Amino acid sequence: NGGHQLPSLPLQILLYVNGVYYTFYFLATLAMIVYKSQVFSYPDDFLAPDLTLLLVMAVLEALRLYLGSKGNLTEEEAPLGLSLALTAGSVLVSIYFLGWQTYVLRADVLLNAVLLFAYGLESVLKLMAIAAAVS
Amino acid sequence: PPETRAAARARTRSRPAPVTDVAKLCVCDLLVAQCDVNCCCDPDCSPDEFSLFTTCSVPIVTGDSRLCSQKAAIYSLDVEANPPERIFQLIDQVNPSLFCIHTTNYKQALFFSSPEMPTSENFDRLLKQFGSASFSAEPDSWNMNTDAQNPSDTNETYRYEYGVPIQTADAFLRLPSPVVSSWCSDVNPAGFLINQATKCTRSVNVEKCGDIEAVSMLFYINSSILAVKFVFQVNITVQSIAVQSPNGTRTLLNDSDALRLPMVLDELCINLVLGVSYHITYTDAGEIIEAAASFVLGAINKAALSIQQSFEISFTQVNTEPVPLSGNPGYVVGLPVRAGFRPQGYPFPGEMLFNTNKYGQFTILQSTANQDCLAAQGARTPILFGYNMISGCKLRITAATKCQPLAQTLLDLLKGQSFPEYVASFGNSQAQDVLDWVPITHLHTSEQRIYNAFQSSCQIPVSLEIEVKWTKYGSLVNPQARIVSVTATIASTTWKQLPSGRERTIPVTSSVVFTDISPPAEPGYKAWPTINVKLPFDFFFPFA
Repeated sequence: NGGHQLPSLPLQILLYVNGVYYTFYFLATLAMIVYKSQVFSYPDDFLAPDLTLLLVMAVLEALRLYLGSKGNLTEEEAPLGLSLALTAGSVLVSIYFLGWQTYVLRADVLLNAVLLFAYGLESVLKLMAIAAAVS
Repeated sequence: PPETRAAARARTRSRPAPVTDVAKLCVCDLLVAQCDVNCCCDPDCSPDEFSLFTTCSVPIVTGDSRLCSQKAAIYSLDVEANPPERIFQLIDQVNPSLFCIHTTNYKQALFFSSPEMPTSENFDRLLKQFGSASFSAEPDSWNMNTDAQNPSDTNETYRYEYGVPIQTADAFLRLPSPVVSSWCSDVNPAGFLINQATKCTRSVNVEKCGDIEAVSMLFYINSSILAVKFVFQVNITVQSIAVQSPNGTRTLLNDSDALRLPMVLDELCINLVLGVSYHITYTDAGEIIEAAASFVLGAINKAALSIQQSFEISFTQVNTEPVPLSGNPGYVVGLPVRAGFRPQGYPFPGEMLFNTNKYGQFTILQSTANQDCLAAQGARTPILFGYNMISGCKLRITAATKCQPLAQTLLDLLKGQSFPEYVASFGNSQAQDVLDWVPITHLHTSEQRIYNAFQSSCQIPVSLEIEVKWTKYGSLVNPQARIVSVTATIASTTWKQLPSGRERTIPVTSSVVFTDISPPAEPGYKAWPTINVKLPFDFFFPFA
């Protein structure tokens, strides 16, 4: 691989900021689900899928960020590619929380919009990093 | 006709759909095809009728305000225009909150759920889901069949719980009570730990005196109570028998062992049961260990077609004595005021004595249907805390009545047989705390007419006023009622001898008034904290 090519700094910064933002997102969404279950009528068979997906998303995110960071720093395309694939999954879950969860509050819309924007930017930077790594 | 019935049934099967469009929802439109006054959203109103309105009773109809954007229908009257006209605006209201609902994917989130309409297919499932004991097909708590019960059905011997009917060997312990009318129905079971008192009328026939079993003692002590369901049997013992004479006086019989059955004697039917009072003793394990019945027997003559029976049941736990408290510690409104006597001749303050029947301790005259004082038969009603009462009767005086015996009769009438000397200041004052009891102060006022030396100075009491002064005692948040003083004022008038042939009716009244003399509440404050700063004693070492 081209040793003179440095790992992408913007991607690394974005991955770090994404990690911080996702922690905030996870706690805020969890708190809002608790709030919704108290204030609105939230039966158990609607609450369970929402909570499960949030936990799955957290796991996906951790894995995705780790792989992306590792792939970027070692300039290997395999972890970056895997991370990109996981990003697609995270995007789908984020779209679910944006429009298909039981109660979508305005705060939910804002959080997920920011997250989707970050995902989009990350995906572009990862593609560029993969292109740089394979060439 | 069957077709319209089927049509009506089909109509009721489908309920009207709820109106959710804010532009169409109009709650003040109550008259069909007519204009409702001041109802700006009524579609039946014409512009001429709008000009007669003064205001809009429904100014705005909105959807759920928790949604981020929702439609709102605003109705207003433009009074400036001539003629006034109605303005209708359909706008989008935006909720600025961050936590407003953007979308919901749960259909019933913001609507009341309509229950399922029961049909013959889903009826059993709905009954199982929502039916409870009141709608179950077979009552499994007790059954009414008079055939021998099958005790081997339930092998466990479970104890009695509150409200469970008391089982006897054949069915259950009966407490006859009036059901719809005042006639006695014998199928009212007595519930465990439910103290009841009922009165009902039973029709009797003097000819068949001994045949009616519901008026004979045997009917009420015949069956034996099951102590713990289906196991041991407790016989009902006869505790006492009182015989009531036709004019109302009751005498307690000495021997209560002999069973007295109804029989005909001198054209009267005697030994009819007029009242039964059951006393059941139970343990804290839910077992009945003793049952006793006290009877009141009476006699009727040929003319009587019915008698009134009264039944009562009370429960006492074994090894305890029921303490009749009227509050703990302050008096509870509606409970009888406790009063008693202090026995005289004791060197030290002794215990208070009071009637064990808490409704008989402090009573006033009870007004009766015939307002004649002398025919009142000593009917008295207990004084209940907090309830001001007034009662009275009319006394007819003729020329033949003498003052002194009349004055004594009236005093007995007003005060009753045993007028107490002390009243308990708290609802739970104990007999041995003599200082907790307040003495009743007696006052006499007499109406002095023009003093005439030739008039007799005999006074007859005509009214008894009892004033109970009470105060709130204790914390501001939970004040307790405490009686501070009781004053009994007897007002008398001078007796005027009537000329012969004349009659006079004087009213006699007695009243009870409860006055709250609580001082206004003063909250107490803690003392200001003091700053206690001192230097340590060896601060100026070595200079001190």
